[in-house]
Order: sequence, then structure tokens, then C-alpha cells
Amino acid sequence: MQIFKKPNFSFMKYKYIALGFSAIIIIIGLLNIIFGKGLTQGIDFAGGTLVRIKLSEPMPVSDIRQALAIADLGTSKIQAVGKTQTEYMIRTMQATEDEQQQQDIEAHEIMGQKVVDVLRGEDEKAAIDSGKIDLNSIDEGGLSLLIATDFPDEAEDSARRIIVFRVANGIITSYEQIEQEIGISSDIVRSLQTKTILSRLAILSRESVGPQVGFDLRRKATQATVWALFGMLLYIGIRFKFAYGVAAILTLTHDILITIGIFSLTNREINLPVIAAILTIVGYSLNDTIVIFVRVRDNLKILRKKEFGELLDTSINQTLSRTIITSGTTFITVASLFFFGGEVLNDFAFTMMIGVIVGTYSSIYQSCSILFFWKKFFKPKKGMGK
Amino acid sequence: MKKNIQWKLILVLAVLALSIFLAYPPSKIPLGLDLSGGMHLVLQVVTDDAINAETDNEILRLQEELKKENLTYERISKSADRVGRFTIQNFDVQRERELRDMLDESYKEWDYSVVGTEVVLNIKSNVAFYLRDQAVRQSEETIWNRVDELGLTEPTIQRQGGAGGDRIIVELPGVDNPERVKNILKTTALLEWKLVMGGPAPTEEALLEPHGGLVPEDMQVVKGDPKRTQGGYYLLSRVASVTGRDIRMARRSIDQWNSPAVSFTLDPESSRRFGKTTTDHRGENLAIVLDGRVQSAPVIEDRITTGSGIIRGGYTIEEAEDLALVLRAGAMPAEIKYLEERTIGPSLGADSIRKGLTSIIMALVLILVFMVFYYRLAGVNAVIALVFNVIILMGALAYFHASLTLPGIAGIILTIGMAVDANVLVFERIREELSQGKSVLSSIAAGFSRAFRTILDANVTTIIAAIFLFQFGTGPIRGFAVTLIIGITASMFTAIFVSRLIFDLSYSKKKKRDKLNI
Repeated sequence: MQIFKKPNFSFMKYKYIALGFSAIIIIIGLLNIIFGKGLTQGIDFAGGTLVRIKLSEPMPVSDIRQALAIADLGTSKIQAVGKTQTEYMIRTMQATEDEQQQQDIEAHEIMGQKVVDVLRGEDEKAAIDSGKIDLNSIDEGGLSLLIATDFPDEAEDSARRIIVFRVANGIITSYEQIEQEIGISSDIVRSLQTKTILSRLAILSRESVGPQVGFDLRRKATQATVWALFGMLLYIGIRFKFAYGVAAILTLTHDILITIGIFSLTNREINLPVIAAILTIVGYSLNDTIVIFVRVRDNLKILRKKEFGELLDTSINQTLSRTIITSGTTFITVASLFFFGGEVLNDFAFTMMIGVIVGTYSSIYQSCSILFFWKKFFKPKKGMGK
Repeated sequence: MKKNIQWKLILVLAVLALSIFLAYPPSKIPLGLDLSGGMHLVLQVVTDDAINAETDNEILRLQEELKKENLTYERISKSADRVGRFTIQNFDVQRERELRDMLDESYKEWDYSVVGTEVVLNIKSNVAFYLRDQAVRQSEETIWNRVDELGLTEPTIQRQGGAGGDRIIVELPGVDNPERVKNILKTTALLEWKLVMGGPAPTEEALLEPHGGLVPEDMQVVKGDPKRTQGGYYLLSRVASVTGRDIRMARRSIDQWNSPAVSFTLDPESSRRFGKTTTDHRGENLAIVLDGRVQSAPVIEDRITTGSGIIRGGYTIEEAEDLALVLRAGAMPAEIKYLEERTIGPSLGADSIRKGLTSIIMALVLILVFMVFYYRLAGVNAVIALVFNVIILMGALAYFHASLTLPGIAGIILTIGMAVDANVLVFERIREELSQGKSVLSSIAAGFSRAFRTILDANVTTIIAAIFLFQFGTGPIRGFAVTLIIGITASMFTAIFVSRLIFDLSYSKKKKRDKLNI
């Protein structure tokens, strides 16, 4: 099977339209970053605390927001995970203007703890204060000791089974569940009922990043991106002519600008995995560009008579099917990551998806246009070949 | 079969067998914290503490020396805004020469300058550097000890930034009680026994009243731990009779009223010292100070020569257990601050593994369907090469003992997408050659050889990006970079070498096949 039998599109004809199109998207993105919503930095870069929780019963976002607002945590960012209304990621924002406090990671942690306490409610706090233990946060050793006071023989095994169930499900919702689904004897369950409570909330993960680390990570991310771009320039400069290196870097910069522009417009947070995705795009989007450049170079030797613009068109057309298919296969894989990979990698996959599309578009429309303009304006004496 | 092909086949099968051997069972590949669950901590050692402690010691020593030499001065004050600096004020200018000689002789680690009637001493920068370095090293060691005592398996404790760095990264897989671990790691656990010279008094003024409102030179004011004592202020001797460093053994026990306590045994040297103190000061109070807070101040009822004793202060079982633990593991030379903390629960890790595997399988299946649909039999070839690639990638991860992280899974998925790119480039080239009317075998040969440079160039750029990502990235991101680097390198082998071999195998037997299924 073949998508393009003998493609013969004149891409260069549309170079001004393509340039204009890109320019508009980049400008909209930049305007939004500078004057609009800006770029939302995740806790990796901005610092703060992110708590991921699972509830035993569904609770709509509005209820959570209300509960947090009452406790002066109204600025927290709440994001639902999935559609069950039982899993949320809550990022606390510092309401205080006290700089000293903002600097302190422990202040962030206290905020995170406050979120958890508020959602757990007063009754649970009272139960814990009266000496009951939360079955949804106790560790296996502790649980085993607890059961062992009444049932020494079955303690270890029961504790292990309960914890295995909890790990698999994230939270235990009722004592019936322990009896029926885990198969713990009703005597033990009854004894647990007197000593423990089942919190309506389990903490799946908790991350706190202090401002110093955030600053460091920001610096490192910038360094990595700049050095990677420089590395590309150097490599392409060595393997091809300087003009191709410049064209490659401009194309990459174009890809990065559009990607972060779209990021800003979709209001997603920039975190470490997103930077990883952008850097991967830097490396990957060059692949298509290189394939086309290699063909341009070859054609400069074979088709000496051809006008440069036409030659570029021929080269793009000759490589069009592989450009589309290589990007297509990569797009298929990142799309499966986007749809099946879960919340943590969602932003990464999203960035990759945007990047692959933009990278392919720019390889076809922008990289060769830049070569064209380079020849037009600088008129290199030795031509564009090597 | 040509001999050449035979050897290639043996090589490929050997690589495959080795990879399977390395990566099987899959549990050999260590999981990163984001998949296994656990804690990732970045700690900062407040190295200023070490300099401050040294400055305090030197001031004490200087006071004694000056006394011995009968050199008068008004007072010695430590600089409040610069660490490692103190000033001797209003010294006897007549005897400046003698003072200078003494400082030259026994304070070689300090730079000093005389301004009028003041001498300003600054710690030398190489000495400060050494002290800071030592403080971080000792902290690192103490953290190791405490983690060992906690019985946590496979911890990673690493100093960041070489000799000048003051950060320590602690990674603890499978922690199910993060708060406790954090508290244990953070405690300085500096335990001191000091004689009580006055107090407890409700306020500092009341405490110092008998001394005219000033703290006598060889004494200090210490607060009572509000949880353990009635609070208030104690006046203690500045010099500790015994410290936590002298403890040979500590364990949780119970006192005579059956409440949790910590019993300890001192080493022989300190036992003698402790014996002497308790003999000389029988009937007086001896305060037990932990991290600058008085825990209790019992009366010395009898002299203690056995070198063992008990610390009590209304501890819970867990508090007593943890105190015994940190005493065994040793004190931190400086305060510890948390810069970053990430705790991933085991159920989230398990969930991530499930979702990661699902997306890997989905990606594989989709690519498989697409390649076979688009390139027919050659597509099957590519898929075989791809499966080889994933197996080699797993083997390499196991060999390098590189942890598989969630971003690492993303790296595997990307590798799947990018590895077939090389096949696509080759196949498209072969099609091109075929359309120009070349024979099957020469089309295959030309396809591989002409696509090779392009594939190399394209992959090198991705690897360059991944290397910088590895260089500047942390934890999970490094996992991504490593997976991508290995995966792409392996794809050069599988998509070019293995895939070529499969073509050679299938088209060399049936001589001169004139139709290529591509």
C-alpha cells in the first residue's frame, strides 16, 4: 500500500502563507504568554505542594472547592483524575504574602496537610484523637501488631491481605468490603471495627518542592534546552553546510515556540516531563528535516539545471511519504500514551503529540523555505551543495 | 546459506539470548520510586552550623589561653551577621606583641587583623571549606546509619555536587510511614548531660536575677522541652559532662513506673568521667539536653560508675524507640533542612505500572497492525525487528541496573514509535529503487546502504537531545533519557542489521526471487 504514489505538490508556492500562518500562531501564543494567561509552572518549577487523594465516595469538585474555601484554602488548584469523582490532585497555593513563609518548604507541607485534614472532617479527627487508628493509612507491620493482640495466629496473614487489597484499590471503603472481598473472618473485622476507622480519604502521593529546588530545576531545564539546540546546530553544521544548520535551528525554535504557545492557550502546567518532551521534540523533529535535507543535497548533484525552489519542491515530494509515515508511527505511539498512560504522563504525551504534528509541518513547510531565503539573500558563492 | 549470513545469524541470536537472560525474570529490572512507591528527599545540610560550632569552641579555648597568659580584654563577641568571625574587644594595647605572638602560634586556622583596640578574627577559607565538607560527610554517614537502623531496603543516599555541595539526595523505596522517616532523618539528636546551676525559672529574667541579669561566662540558658518538662528556663554549665557521642549502646526500655524510656550504656572512658561528675556533684541536678531542650533534670542520687543509665521524659513507645534509634545512629553535625520531598504511595505506583503496560501494548499492537497493513511481508520483518529491539532494551536496562521509571516507560513507548522510523526509511528507499526498475536483491542492498547515513544522522540528533536531558535532568527524567538513548541505539542494530539479515535469509534461499512483498 502507498499513500502517495507520485506526489507532486508545490509546497514552495505556499511558503509565504505557511510563514504567515506560523507567525500568527507564534504571535498569538507569545501574546497569551506575555499579556494573557501566561505559562503556568507546575510545582517542579514554581515550588509548592501537590497532594493526590482518593475518596471512598464520589464528591463533586464544587464540594471540594467549597470545603477548602471555608478553611482559607480557596486558591488551591483542584484537578479531577478520571470521571469517577473520587480521585483528585490538589495543589495548594500560598495565600500569604509573607516572603519568609513562602521560602519555607514546611509551610507548603503544612498547607498540604491542612487540605487533607479539611477533607477528612471533624468526626475523623475526633476518632483519631480518641485513639482509633486509620485503616487507610496504617502500615502492614502496625496492622499486624494491632490484629495480633486478639488474633495472634491470623494477624500476619490478614494484615498482608488487607494491605494488598488496599494497594490494588487505593482505598478501603467499608468493613463489609474487608469481610466479603478480602475474605477476612467476621471476628477479626468486628475487632477491627472497635479499634480503627476507615478514613474517607487516602493519600496516593504527596510532593513538596521548595523554592530553591524549583529555581535549580528551572535553570537546569533552560540550560538543557539551550545546550541541546547548540548541539544540534553543531552537528548539522558539521554534517551539512552552515545554512542547513541555521535552517534546522530556526525550524526547531519555531516548533518550540508553537508548542509552548499551545501549552499556554490550553492552560496546562509546565513540569519536568514536559521539558523532557520538548527536548525530545527538539531531537525528533530534526529527523524529518534531516531526511529532506539529505535529499536536497543529493538532488543538488543530480538535478543541476533545476531552479532551487523547484528542486526543494522535488525533494520534499520525493520524501513526503516517509516524512508522513515516520511521524505517523511516532504519533500513534504517543497517542496511545495520551489515551492509556494515565494522569502523570498526560502532559508529556500531549506535548509530544503537538510536537510531532508541528515538527512534521515545519519540516515540510518551514525548513526548506529558510534554505530558499538563505540562497536568495546570501547568494552563497559555492552554491547550496557540499 | 552463505557463511557470512550464518555468522550474522549467530550474532543476532546470541544478543537476543543474552538480553533475555539479563532481563528474565522482569523483576530483575529495578523500579524507580514513582513505580515502586517510596520517598525521594533532597536535604540541605546547614553547614554554617559547623562553622558556628567551631567558632564557639575556639572562643572558649581563646578565653582560657588569655586567662592563662593574663592578657586582659573587655569581652569576646561573635559576629551576628557573618559566620566564622569574632572580635576581641578592648584588649590591652600595651601587650599587642604578646597577643599577636599567641595568635600566630596557636590560631593558625584564623586570619586576624588589629584595628585600634579590637582584634577581628576570621576563619581561613580553606579551613571553612574543610569544616563544611566534613559536616556534609558526617551528615551523610549519619543518615546512612539511621536508614540502616530503620531497616529500609535498598536505599540510595547521595551527595550532590561533589566536595563543595551541601545537598544530600535520599531515595527510599517502599516507605509506608513517611512522616516518621522524615522526623527521624531530620532530628539533630545532639544529646548532652549538663550540670544545673540554676532554675528552672518561669522567665529568663527571674533565672538570671541572682547573677545580676547577666549570663556567667561558663554557663548558658537552656529552655525546657515543653512536652517533657514544665517548660521554663534552666541555667546550665556550658561544658557537657557527657554527650551522645559517648554512648555505646541505647535501646528502648521502661523506667520504674513502667513508662517507656531509653536506657543507655557509655563507653569506658566516659563512664569514668560520668562517675567522677556524679561523685563530685552528688545531690545536685544533672540536666539531659536533647537538641538544645532540657528533657529532664533529675537529682544525682548516687554516684554512677557502671556507665549505664536511663533517660525518661514521658515518652510514648514510638518516641522512645525513635530516640534510641537516633542515639545509636549518632548525632548530626549540623541542622538539616528539607528542600524537596516526594512521596509516592504503593497503590499509585501499581496503577502507573498497569497504565504504562497498557499503553506499551497498545502502541505495539497499533504499530504492528499499521506496518503489516502498509508494508505487507516487509512489515512483518519490521515488527520482528521491533520486538527484538524491545527485548534488547530490557536486557540493557537490567544490565546497567538502570531503574525503570514512569517517564522511562514513556521512553520505551517512544522508542517503539521511533525504531520503526528506520525501517520506514529503508523500505521507502527500497520501493524507490524498485520503481526505478532495479532487481529485488540490489534494491534491498541499495535501500539499506543509502538510507543508512540518513538514519544515523536522524538518530544522532535525538541522542544528543537525550544526552543533555540526562546531564541536566533528575531522577525519573534521567530514566527517560537512558531508555531513549538505549532504545534508539538498539534500533540502529535491529532496524538495520537484524532487518537486513531477515531479508537476506528469506531472499537468498529462493534464488532470484523477482517479486518483493513490500
